[in-house]
Amino acid sequence: MGRYILRRLISVIPTLIGVTLVIFLFQRLIPGDPAVAMLGEHATEENVARIREQFGLNRPAFLDRDALAEGDLTGFFDSQYIRYFRRLVHLDLGDSIHRRIPVAETLKERFPATLELSLLSMFFALIIGIPAGIASASRRNSTVDGVTMVGSLIGVSMPIFWLGIMFIMLFSVFLKWLPSGARLSTGVEIQTITNLLLLDSLLTGNFAGFVDALKHIIMPAVALATIPAAIITRMTRSSMLDVLQEDYIRTASAKGLAERVVLFRHALKNAFLPVITIIGIQAGTLLAGAVLTETIFSWPGIGKWVYDAILGRDYPIVQGVTLLIALIFLLVNLAVDLSYAILDPRITYD
Amino acid sequence: MNVEKQILVQVKNLIKYFPVYQGIIVNRHVKDVKAVDDVSFDIYKGETLGLVGETGCGKTTVGRTILHLYKPTSGQILFDNIDLTLLQENELRKVRNRMQMIFQDPYASLNPRMTVGSIISAPLDVHTTFTRKEKQDRVQELLKLVGLNPDFVNRYPHEFSGGQRQRIGIARALAVSPDLVVCDEPISSLDVSIQAQVVNLLEELQNKLGLTYLFIAHDLSMVRHISDRMVVMYLGKIMELADRNSIYLRPLHPYTKALMSAVPIPDPELSSRRERIILKGDIPSPLNPPQGCNFNTRCPIATDLCFQSEPEYRELEPDHYVACHYAEPPQ
Amino acid sequence: MTDNKIENGGFEDFAVREHRSLWLDAWRRLVANKTAMIGLIVVVVFILSATGAHFFWEYEARADLDYNKKLLAPTILATEEAPEIHLFGTDKLGRDIFRRTVHGGWNSLRVGLVAVGISLSIGGILGLLSGFFESINMNFRESLALMTLMGAGLGSLPAWIARQPMQILLFAGLGVASVLYDRYLVDRKSPRQLYFAILGTLIGGIAGILVGFWVAFVCAILGLLIGLILARPVGGKIFSSIVMRAMDIILSFPSYLLAIAIVAFLGPGLEKGMIAIGVVGIPVYARLARSAVLSVSQKEYVLASQSVGESHGRILFRHILPNILSPIIVQSTMGLANAILSAAALGFLGLGAIPPEPEWGAMLGDSYKYLSSGAWWAVLFPGLAIVFSVLGFNLLGDGLRDALDPKIRA
Repeated sequence: MGRYILRRLISVIPTLIGVTLVIFLFQRLIPGDPAVAMLGEHATEENVARIREQFGLNRPAFLDRDALAEGDLTGFFDSQYIRYFRRLVHLDLGDSIHRRIPVAETLKERFPATLELSLLSMFFALIIGIPAGIASASRRNSTVDGVTMVGSLIGVSMPIFWLGIMFIMLFSVFLKWLPSGARLSTGVEIQTITNLLLLDSLLTGNFAGFVDALKHIIMPAVALATIPAAIITRMTRSSMLDVLQEDYIRTASAKGLAERVVLFRHALKNAFLPVITIIGIQAGTLLAGAVLTETIFSWPGIGKWVYDAILGRDYPIVQGVTLLIALIFLLVNLAVDLSYAILDPRITYD
Repeated sequence: MNVEKQILVQVKNLIKYFPVYQGIIVNRHVKDVKAVDDVSFDIYKGETLGLVGETGCGKTTVGRTILHLYKPTSGQILFDNIDLTLLQENELRKVRNRMQMIFQDPYASLNPRMTVGSIISAPLDVHTTFTRKEKQDRVQELLKLVGLNPDFVNRYPHEFSGGQRQRIGIARALAVSPDLVVCDEPISSLDVSIQAQVVNLLEELQNKLGLTYLFIAHDLSMVRHISDRMVVMYLGKIMELADRNSIYLRPLHPYTKALMSAVPIPDPELSSRRERIILKGDIPSPLNPPQGCNFNTRCPIATDLCFQSEPEYRELEPDHYVACHYAEPPQ
Repeated sequence: MTDNKIENGGFEDFAVREHRSLWLDAWRRLVANKTAMIGLIVVVVFILSATGAHFFWEYEARADLDYNKKLLAPTILATEEAPEIHLFGTDKLGRDIFRRTVHGGWNSLRVGLVAVGISLSIGGILGLLSGFFESINMNFRESLALMTLMGAGLGSLPAWIARQPMQILLFAGLGVASVLYDRYLVDRKSPRQLYFAILGTLIGGIAGILVGFWVAFVCAILGLLIGLILARPVGGKIFSSIVMRAMDIILSFPSYLLAIAIVAFLGPGLEKGMIAIGVVGIPVYARLARSAVLSVSQKEYVLASQSVGESHGRILFRHILPNILSPIIVQSTMGLANAILSAAALGFLGLGAIPPEPEWGAMLGDSYKYLSSGAWWAVLFPGLAIVFSVLGFNLLGDGLRDALDPKIRA
């Protein structure tokens, strides 16, 4: 097993390198010069050239073959991608072209907001999805089942941004129960330790702050959780149905075990495998869905930030954020794969 | 029999290993599953050669390799004096119409989305230039030959029972009038009552069409009924080869003796008097066959010699070959 | 149950069931499924209204503009104050939302079809080939084609460095040589790694020397590596793992981000959006096709067709393809639903449809700022349109899945 873990960890590396290449490639191919974007259209040639020099934008993209033709071996390797890669290895994500602030710094500031939102959403999705799926499977074709199925189907068919807007419409505009944006109301302060506001407020005993943060996060979290919850419900249900058919379940019931024991001790463990796969995929979707949700709810996370960066040709930000998200994706998938081995003793890796 | 026996197939030192790959970064060829490990025998024209052995002994692999569905790791296969291992793909295809196969699982060996007619005429499409009418006629002919209603041409496999499907498979195999038919456990998946029907059909067809069979099975009583000669395999190697009666009445290899002692005899008195030889242990993994004789881990008469050296495959009586250090021809 | 007894050599025949084609069976199951039928109806309504509107109901988006009628609430009956009926109200530019919604359907339909088409054709073929060659060994011509491509592909790197397109041809030739070597020289003990490494080095070095010393040096080293890689003809399994690894890389990007990036690269416009969503979906179909092919090719009828001597092309089209259609059809239907959602998302962010083209997501994006002033109709109706059309496809897809591959659940 240890060997398998090692092999999987190692295989992440080439994929990650591939990811950096793709990210880099894309940014290069997008038309538009960041130097011009930064200085404005009326900048002088000199200034543009100077900015380009400063940011290394005048080096060739991957390899400098002209340099090689002239016999300059080191010059050959001095390219935008190589520079970028070397900085990466030193964990330097570069600076934002437009604001000159290190990407890593802004990332540290903004990421916890997205993280908090994603975690809470995943939490909601799980506590709604899994029980609903189990209940639905065990009471097949009943009203509970019908309602759940229809509900989850509708959930899967909804565009997340529309749902968010509907929530705002209902709870902010018409009912005026909840605020429609930002993480905290003006004037409310929470001492930041992790910048996960709910956590921080609890850690510092700031109850009022906790309530305020909760009021702000609940709508986007529930909105964001809807689609994953629906998918998890459907997957849990179908997987449980498959498992509940098996003969060993019938044996367990025939033995006289209570339904709850049969369900949880026997069926769930075996049904869980496909569900975990889905959860892994959903984790990624949550991070990505952040763009839309954050836009609507004015949530200061990385989603909106990277979207603006793509359109503004701010390469380092895009590269940094995408790399982070891709890395998280890969690690989540790795965790999913490893959990297979724990859950299913039949899976041997040698 | 004084008729000069013609050899149709010669298998010489056939080896088929399946490589196992392992490794962290690069997958390296680490071990082999030794499915078929140096097997040699001949098949005479017009006979039925039975090939028996436990699951995993390599008999199916032998059948498939003879048909070149697997490429042999080494060794030769001569079909009517043509060395199959030396042929290129297109030449091989031309020979294929002379050797066909009947498969074990009647449910998986027919394409569920094709009509019976298309399934049976598939070999005709590949190997002949028949017109549509000629193909249709041939399919009708074949269906009648195997005892199915020719009107079934446009039906789908899922509409038939297991026995009927197997007959469709037989019709397909016979479409291009092959010389050799490899029957890979053709009756193992069928109900007992249907088994007899299918075996009778196979015998009848052999007589009518002059076919040669390689009959692979693990049901010993059925194999006895249909075979002229038999080969007993164990863990990729041949243990014994002889004509049917010698195998049943005078087996010389301890493994064959154990197998024969387990075949049910209809006579209760004889049956109770018979001595059962029960083998201990399980068949070892073909990844790691034992040193010396392959059978040494379970053999009731194994000695140190058996763990050190592999027994020679020798002819103890005319046309009776055994691979055992201690086998003796009866006095 | 028909009972056909035929006396034929002593055999009796019973046809087990009435004659029915498998597709007809599936259709019957689909029709019997009520929710699937609802989905089908919704889908049909959607398609009809979208195509009908596009071809018969004139709408010039650019000319549609009337500030006087800005943000009017929905009206069903004409009154004196509001002489025109706006079923869904008007938006910020005074345009009738109902009309734009119906026309927006056409755009959504187009995007869905094209995007799924792209994903399916490219992903499907990749998955099909991957799965196929993983289970069935490549024949001579296929190996030749693959190795030529590999040689050319690998050789394009030194060719680019030295600015010599000729190297691509030379390395492609090396790939060809590898296949020929494998076929005609059967001696397993010969040091093919060595031979090919030397050949590769020579190709790179000699070609490169025409440009300069260091170029030759770098190209020679690359040539050495390429020679080592090409020494043994690549098997189907390696081909498959390369393709799947490429799919993994695409999959490691969250789909929205990737789509946004592609659109940013390609520029605005609905067509670019279609391509973006299509590309993002490729790995899904590739994986699906591959796993479907793998499960089919294990079946004995594929082995049987090989023993009959059928060609690879015939096996692929007559045996494998018809038997993998079910999961692909289901996925395409659900994929269409997803494509519509993605298109709406892109439109919402301002990518995709160029204003003033009517597109549901874009309509939402335009109007949600006005929510606080109470114009709920501008966001409700386009959103509902999305929900209904997507729901229809999802219901249909679910129904198709049950109809095409029924598992009897006790």
